[in-house]
Amino acid sequence: MIELLERDQSLAQFDSVLGLVATGTGRTVLVGGEAGIGKTSLVEQFTERHRSDARVLWGGCEALFTPRPLGPLHDIAGQMQSDLLTLLESDAPRTRIFGTMLTELQVSGKPTILVIEDVHWADEATLDLIKFLGRRIQRTKALLALTYRDDEVGPRHPLRSILGELPGGSVTRIVLTALSEMAVETLARRAKRSAEGIHATTGGNPFFVTEVLASDQRGVPATVRDAVLTRASRLSEAARRMLDMAAVIGYRVDSWLMNATAGSDPEAVDELVSRGMLRLHGGELAFRHELARQAILEALSPGTSRALHQAVLAALLTASAGRDEPGRVAYHAEAAGDAAAVSQYAPVAARRATAFGAHREAAAQFSRALRFGRSLTSLEHAALLEDFARESILIDQIGDAIEALSEANRIFVAEGERVKEGLNLTNQSRALVRAGRNAEAEESSRRGIEVLESQPPTRELAFAYSIQSYMRMLNRDTAEAIDWGEKAIAMAERFAHQETIVNAYTSIGAALVVSGDVEKGRASLEKGVHLATVAGFDTLVALAYSNLGSAFGERYLFKDAEEYLRTGMAYATDRDLDQSLLYMLAWRALVHLYRGRWSEAGEDALAVSRRGASAISQIMALVALGRLRARRGDPEVKSALDQALQLAAQTETLQRLAPVRAARAEAAWLAGDHAATREEATAAFDLAMRHKHDWFVGELAYWLWRAGELSAAPAIAAEPFRLEIQGEWRAAADAWERLGCPYEQARALGDGDVDAQRTALALFEGLGARPAAEMVRRSLRAQGIRDIPRGPRAVTRSNPAGLSARELEVLSLLGEGLQNAEIASRLFLSAKTIDHHVSAILAKLSARSRAEAVAAAYRSGIISQSKAAPGNN
Amino acid sequence: MPRYLVERTFPDGLVIPPTEQGAAACRTVVGNNAEELVTWVHSYVTPDKLRTFCVYDGPSPEAIRKAARRNGLPVDQIIEVSVLDPYFYR
Repeated sequence: MIELLERDQSLAQFDSVLGLVATGTGRTVLVGGEAGIGKTSLVEQFTERHRSDARVLWGGCEALFTPRPLGPLHDIAGQMQSDLLTLLESDAPRTRIFGTMLTELQVSGKPTILVIEDVHWADEATLDLIKFLGRRIQRTKALLALTYRDDEVGPRHPLRSILGELPGGSVTRIVLTALSEMAVETLARRAKRSAEGIHATTGGNPFFVTEVLASDQRGVPATVRDAVLTRASRLSEAARRMLDMAAVIGYRVDSWLMNATAGSDPEAVDELVSRGMLRLHGGELAFRHELARQAILEALSPGTSRALHQAVLAALLTASAGRDEPGRVAYHAEAAGDAAAVSQYAPVAARRATAFGAHREAAAQFSRALRFGRSLTSLEHAALLEDFARESILIDQIGDAIEALSEANRIFVAEGERVKEGLNLTNQSRALVRAGRNAEAEESSRRGIEVLESQPPTRELAFAYSIQSYMRMLNRDTAEAIDWGEKAIAMAERFAHQETIVNAYTSIGAALVVSGDVEKGRASLEKGVHLATVAGFDTLVALAYSNLGSAFGERYLFKDAEEYLRTGMAYATDRDLDQSLLYMLAWRALVHLYRGRWSEAGEDALAVSRRGASAISQIMALVALGRLRARRGDPEVKSALDQALQLAAQTETLQRLAPVRAARAEAAWLAGDHAATREEATAAFDLAMRHKHDWFVGELAYWLWRAGELSAAPAIAAEPFRLEIQGEWRAAADAWERLGCPYEQARALGDGDVDAQRTALALFEGLGARPAAEMVRRSLRAQGIRDIPRGPRAVTRSNPAGLSARELEVLSLLGEGLQNAEIASRLFLSAKTIDHHVSAILAKLSARSRAEAVAAAYRSGIISQSKAAPGNN
Repeated sequence: MPRYLVERTFPDGLVIPPTEQGAAACRTVVGNNAEELVTWVHSYVTPDKLRTFCVYDGPSPEAIRKAARRNGLPVDQIIEVSVLDPYFYR
């Protein structure tokens, strides 16, 4: 084996990780570096050293415009004694394929080294596989080694977010750097050449250095490409022809394809291998490096290139590779300019990609088919456009999708295809909602229903009704959402269209909960969860949970909301349903905030914005972050709430505008800007009144009242806010306490008598609510009260662990030796809630047991000073 | 990365002895900060050692608070600031 220079440290890193893996905790190793830096050589050297004590599985991604879905997994399956290959070839559901691979990594006796190379070129399904395995790797006995060109993974590259979201403790990064001048000299000495100028030109890139040293030329070629071509120019004519063909075939050169296109010529092959242009890799020919293949490929004239692709295409078609690798056929067909072959194979490749969940590749193949679809009938063309649109929506290319759908719609109109036209309009409305173009979505949905109602009943009509119900629910038009939803269910049941039935139950349920018919809504949503679970509609199950969490949250029913979010987030995490997960995470941030767990609120909200979340998730997370900062008196309130407003304004819906405007009104109030408070609250108040949304009306009315704009509460305002506006501060504070909202409770008490204000001050201090505490302090001073605690109370100062007021209370009772059930009855809370507080306390104090927590609390003085903690009323 | 001024109050006074023990305490703070991508630039301390004004660089106010929690340091107020140099305008 060739000795690698200056890679001892990286190899040692690899070895120590494998040592850990062998004890039963799997890990991911990321090997990054520019092209030619020696990533493959390093991994090969490492795996060679462990041939006897580990099982090595190897897959690679190819630099194709549209790579084969799960290409690397095909390679890997071929090296395993398992039914994985059968599953892949029978297009089994992806969850089963991924699950089988994971099990395979768990049961093996020896540790497995699973290599996936060049993941910067990975197709979407392979990226999902990496995410799936990477997030679960700790539960396996495997080392997942991923190599990638770090300089080709920009901030928007899909690989970036996936690597960033692997569990922190399970990842080791190896970054390969260039060879030193000394190493280059050593290599030159071995090649019996002068090292002069080589390091300067190559920058110490090992592949470039090797090419230069092999080019046996006097000077140093200026680029890798020149070095490769100089070397190739020394080949015999036969070998060069064969090399050109090989470059067109691919990085790995299938020998049967080579024989079929370039003829069998063992001498030429020998020459290519001995000259180091190609190498044997597991019995197959391959280029020494993708950089070398690119150099050869780019040197081909357009005419030659086309002729070579034609030859490869013909060979592939004769061998009926179209069935197994339609994407490969479509690629060569396009390069060969064969429109008929593209039209035939690109859609097949696209559907295969869809089945594997490689939506980016599917959209690219459909788009390729559309570019070459001159011979299609207009209806075939429209069908392709709709396929392309569906995939584009899944990869968030909504603009392209809407354009394609409109084009297809014009064809359906011209052809008099009414049902297809109606379905198309309904799909357009759904895409338009995703793009935040709600007014156009509305128009499109109405027209779709009109068209479909002009025909005999269809499942398409049922679907159109369910989408209208969904849009009414989003807009908080409860009665209409229910009407349309019930119509959808009635019709969908005639056609046994489960998906529409689930959608309708979910929309109806969310509408009911939000409008205050909580129990009926809960039943409808839970029915949605049940039906979707039975039918295996994973994304709809997650959607129903996120609707449950957000709808209960919107009604300040945080205990229920929290429970649904917990279940829903666990469900979404298990299935990598990230968009649903992020929306629920944003809502959990809000729930934490209202329940007084501010540090957790900040963590969740920031986690949403760190991970590329959709606009609606970002809006809710920014509202949580903006309110949190405003309540703490922290900076950067404006940046969070300005961004939230910008995103919410695009949606033009109450559901987003009301929380953002209310948060901005609160922030303005805390900053002492009453004019701005009035302005912000006014901006969404009429909209909330029109939709009769009691909680939004309640909070917005409250801020208008604070700003002196309103003297009486609207009849529909939610109770705690109404009580506050009516001056019934004690009843309001009780109501807030029942809802588990300590900040709101303190705010109500702040309007009370001196005793109440003292309690309010203590609660605010416990939360770390500086501006509100300062307001109460000012009010107490104005009433001539002298012994007001000055500045942050001792309780916060000696409470570096950031325990909430309630947690301090529970901790102090723990210190008295009470059991959870006793604490629960003492505080009028459920035992479950106490359990939750106790675990939060343990986590914050980094204690392993209750006794340890109590000891730590005594040591740091938390307990003795919190005896007087508020809330025991 | 934004810069913040963090006000803290130490009821018993903040005493960092100029010994190896004091140096180790500062290193611990710096290490904990690094976990949150927070950098402690320097601090001003009142003569009675009851209050400090600490200059920090960090990604967000939440990161500043989390680092403080890890270090067991109190936080009264966080203010976002930028540098103004009186001699810049000559």
